[in-house]
Amino acid sequence: MIPSPAAGQGQRVRWYAHGYNRAEFYRLAAAITWLPRALRLRLAGGVGRLVASLMPRERAAVRKTLSVVTGSTGRELDALTARLFSEYAMCFSDLLSTNREPPARLMAHVRSVSGVGHVDRLEGAVVCVTAHVGNWDMAGRLLASASARPTHVVVAVEEAIGLERWVRRDGDGVRFVSRSTPTVALTLMAALRRGEAVAMQGDRALGNSRDVAVTFFGRPAPFPIGPFRLASAARVPIVGAFCTLGSHGRYDMTVCPPLVISPGSEEDTLRQWVGELESLVRERPTQWFNFFNIWNPFEG
Amino acid sequence: MVQLLQHLEPIRGLRRASTETQKVLDDLKVILAERLRFDTARVAILTAETSLPKGIAGSLGLDSLDFIEISLGIEDRFGLVMDEREDLAPHFQSLGTLAGYITGRLNDG
Repeated sequence: MIPSPAAGQGQRVRWYAHGYNRAEFYRLAAAITWLPRALRLRLAGGVGRLVASLMPRERAAVRKTLSVVTGSTGRELDALTARLFSEYAMCFSDLLSTNREPPARLMAHVRSVSGVGHVDRLEGAVVCVTAHVGNWDMAGRLLASASARPTHVVVAVEEAIGLERWVRRDGDGVRFVSRSTPTVALTLMAALRRGEAVAMQGDRALGNSRDVAVTFFGRPAPFPIGPFRLASAARVPIVGAFCTLGSHGRYDMTVCPPLVISPGSEEDTLRQWVGELESLVRERPTQWFNFFNIWNPFEG
Repeated sequence: MVQLLQHLEPIRGLRRASTETQKVLDDLKVILAERLRFDTARVAILTAETSLPKGIAGSLGLDSLDFIEISLGIEDRFGLVMDEREDLAPHFQSLGTLAGYITGRLNDG
């Protein structure tokens, strides 16, 4: 049984909102795009550690998640928590600069790509399900480039309209589609019918009857079934894709083997995908950027 | 007499279109009952003015997954493939706009 969202659900501020989602931080990140990337990332990382101390609610949620995911305690857990904020700031900094480079130049920032052949071998449409891991915007752009298909990236409606211009940039085969009305599903179905790609994030529950409880690190957590129903309806495979930042300042892109889905098997496929996510988060715990209690998102 | 029939032709055409749209509307109600599991008694009293998306007062309250299901139902029942680049949302605002859209697609061949 999925817990119900708190009374605030449906209002502008949602449970997954966090202190980073403010125009000042976007302006700051945009203001330092002229710096050499290595220096910019170091600066962003330092600012991220500082900002962590200003966000006690988010820090407590991240600490709790990391304790479950890594089993760490005490100083080790504190260090991991600070590192997550630091790495988030670094990816955030790239969002407004590095991510905007043309696809050919993006590859210069990628150290390794594994599994992209899975997409090459696919014919026709595909639903790519990613998560708030590392630089997910970069994952969408690299995948669009590698798959040579127009890619529709589904995004939540920004709580602050002013942020839209910072984070949504169509082009290079990528088109952002806001989840502002339920009829957006028709746009996505039509795109899949044309053999195009749809990219969605699958790690944030919606707080409605479309969430399904799946065991994640040994505890039930709600995940949205929507991407899996969409793929099943269009009879197209699901591909998990993630892009994480390495200590060397370059990205590692991972594309998982396609998950074949059919009517009635949506929840099983969701569980398989959550298994892939769990493996990745276990490997890179400080690059899963959800600043709320993932097992009970609607508490309080 | 021939002139009179020529004058009446547009009116007959409108009636024919109206009958076709009504038939499509009835088929849409079947899709709502069979695929989206709406109560048949509730479906029977729906009109062309009934809004579809959630968030509109008095609407059927369809969410994104309901729209996927209804689009599959339309493809199955009417043999249409909805792969347009144009925004389909305006056609799915009410039962009447949807019936009109389907009728138009069927007549376009």
